[in-house]
Amino acid sequence: MDIMEHYALVFRDVSAGYKHRKVLDHVSFNIREGEFVSLIGPNGCGKSTLLKTAAALLTPLSGKVELFGQDVHRIKPAVRASLLGVVPQKIESSMAFTVSQIVMNGRISSMGRWGTMSPGDHDLVERSMIYTDVLELRDRYFTELSGGEQQRVALAMVLAQDPKIIMLDESISHLDINHRQEVLQILMNLNREKRMTILLVSHDLTLSASISDRFLLMDAGSMIKVGTPTEVLEPEVLSRVYNCDLRVQQDPYTGYLQVLGSIDSLNRRKSLNRSVHVIAGGGSGIELYRRLIIEGYEVTTGVLNRLDSDAEAARALNLQVALEQPFSPLGSDAIQEALKMIDAADAVILSQVPFGSGNLVNLELAAAALKKGKTVLLAAGIADRDYTQGKAALQFMSRLTNDGALIWHSIPELMLQLQKHSRHRSS
Amino acid sequence: MVNDERKACLDNRFTSTSHRHASSRIVLFFLAVLLLLTLSMLLGPSGIGIPDMQSNAGSAIISLRVNRLLMGMMTGAALSASGVVFQALLRNPLAEPYVLGVSGGAGLGATISILAGSGLFVTLGLPVVAFISAVLTLMVVYGIASQGSSGQPSVYSLILSGVIVSSICSSVIMFLVSTASVEGMHNVIWWMLGSLQPVSSGQQLLSAALIVGGLGGIWLLSPHLNALALGREMAHYQGLRADLVLVTGLLFATLLAATAVSLSGMIGFVGLIVPHVMRAVFGPDNRKLVPLAALGGGTFLVVCDALARTILAPIEIPVGVVTALAGGPFFLIILQRRMKQAWIA
Repeated sequence: MDIMEHYALVFRDVSAGYKHRKVLDHVSFNIREGEFVSLIGPNGCGKSTLLKTAAALLTPLSGKVELFGQDVHRIKPAVRASLLGVVPQKIESSMAFTVSQIVMNGRISSMGRWGTMSPGDHDLVERSMIYTDVLELRDRYFTELSGGEQQRVALAMVLAQDPKIIMLDESISHLDINHRQEVLQILMNLNREKRMTILLVSHDLTLSASISDRFLLMDAGSMIKVGTPTEVLEPEVLSRVYNCDLRVQQDPYTGYLQVLGSIDSLNRRKSLNRSVHVIAGGGSGIELYRRLIIEGYEVTTGVLNRLDSDAEAARALNLQVALEQPFSPLGSDAIQEALKMIDAADAVILSQVPFGSGNLVNLELAAAALKKGKTVLLAAGIADRDYTQGKAALQFMSRLTNDGALIWHSIPELMLQLQKHSRHRSS
Repeated sequence: MVNDERKACLDNRFTSTSHRHASSRIVLFFLAVLLLLTLSMLLGPSGIGIPDMQSNAGSAIISLRVNRLLMGMMTGAALSASGVVFQALLRNPLAEPYVLGVSGGAGLGATISILAGSGLFVTLGLPVVAFISAVLTLMVVYGIASQGSSGQPSVYSLILSGVIVSSICSSVIMFLVSTASVEGMHNVIWWMLGSLQPVSSGQQLLSAALIVGGLGGIWLLSPHLNALALGREMAHYQGLRADLVLVTGLLFATLLAATAVSLSGMIGFVGLIVPHVMRAVFGPDNRKLVPLAALGGGTFLVVCDALARTILAPIEIPVGVVTALAGGPFFLIILQRRMKQAWIA
């Protein structure tokens, strides 16, 4: 019983749905008090039905829904409203109620018989309107507001209920970026300061990853996975559930996970059937990878140190990478692997990577490629990026250009050179 | 601090002016009601002005006019208030007793009881039979509308099935009238045309009780009607027993409409025009709207009746004709000028 009280919402093997259609299929999960949880899943997977079942709008066909330890269907409606607030996808009013009249609806269950409000009720209404920045709109007609403004009014109304858990059904997707950040900030503040539990239905996986404690991943009425962002946001699982090519990478600045979709790249890459090996490091390769993939090249890269941001990017982009342990000089095993990649490649590109003694070996790779008769393209301006003793890299580079390596100055120019070169080859 | 100041400033600017406006409007409205009711007391087929109270004829005329005023107030208030409730519950500007088939059902019940019954049964049983058949009709309409959808009927299917059931009811009434005796036919048609001819005092008292009860019930429900403006789902989330409010509201509104129909026959337009005009002037808050619309509806019908019996005197025009002729254009003007603020459908 003690443990129960720490849960805001518990689904015990719940099946639910409508008259002729079962939507939720034996769903079980729990949300602890004070958690910020994102509910994700493709359209029509049952997210809205789950919220409706949690709010006792739908009665489960089997199983049990508990809100703060009590069966949600046994809680009096007025008490339930003080525990749970729901911001739906869209609210519509057919009548010309003003914004403040709409927000006052949030106090309806504590109003007197004639709809009179106590000073405490009034304070809650005012505070909610200030919080959501709708005070200026208070005497405007709700129906005249933009979609984003209506959403903020809806949130104000739900905040006026002063609930302990708020569920938002894709409510923030209509907001512009400014107000989306603001609403999320409000939710996060409520979550941190008042320990308000938040359940957010979201399609923005990257955004949710940065604010959520946990994820609930649904597909076709079933709960697929429950866990931390790292546990749930796995490319294989997501790609299967969303039925498209999704990648997950870590933001190098914030450390949060980012989910990226690149639906087109696979097909185009296959159709071009040309491969390029990139020698990079220290983040100099990311933009190259991206552009080459978009242009449809099969990209390999290396040798890279395992923690290098280029290595992270390459892994997120599903590239073949020759890897070396972090912060160690590039060893022969990795070099052998990279040489194999160069064998398979049509061209080798050297990025604007700075050179030190640790990665000078990578220039050997370029030299080897030149010997094998591959096209080698070197980034211009090596003098500024050469940190080796006695300008070893600079000398190496000038030798390579003498032997026939080409120089590129900008990525668009590089792409043109590659195209020209491939036409030349195929003719 | 800044927020507080801004809030105070906004409070001041908005609440004070809008409050002043609202209360001055209400005062004006009450004055207009008093004026119109007084004027309609002065109108009649026997001439304009107060008749000689000393004579038997004069006091008879006065009591007749008072009687019609009460009939008009009751019927108009009931129709108008039930319109407010139907529109709020079904979230549709077109919802009113006629559209939903409630009046048609009540009319059918009333017709049957006028043709079949006699004496005391007709006078006292009429409102009850009308109410029962109106509720049955509403259940049929609701049932048909619920088919196919996932449990809850949409407003459109409700209105569609309401219109169809309503026309079936009128066909049955026509059939009953065409096969009735001459006397029965006369009674039914006279009643059906819609008039505020005095009924027996027993029926009047019973109707008054039902209407007052219905209005009181609706007024108690009015804060909850506001919450339903955002839909059943939202009202549920805010801690309302939304379905209970819906069913109770529909029952009270049906009771009012059925009683009005049994009392004065088929008088259209009141349940549609008056709520809209009142909403345009006083806003959509049902707590204010229910009593104001009841008062406004009663006054509107009384004025229409005064016109109906005066314009072509001694011929009396059915009051339903006047409500439609007077109300229609007025409604269109309001629609053009104020509807945007009062109801954006």
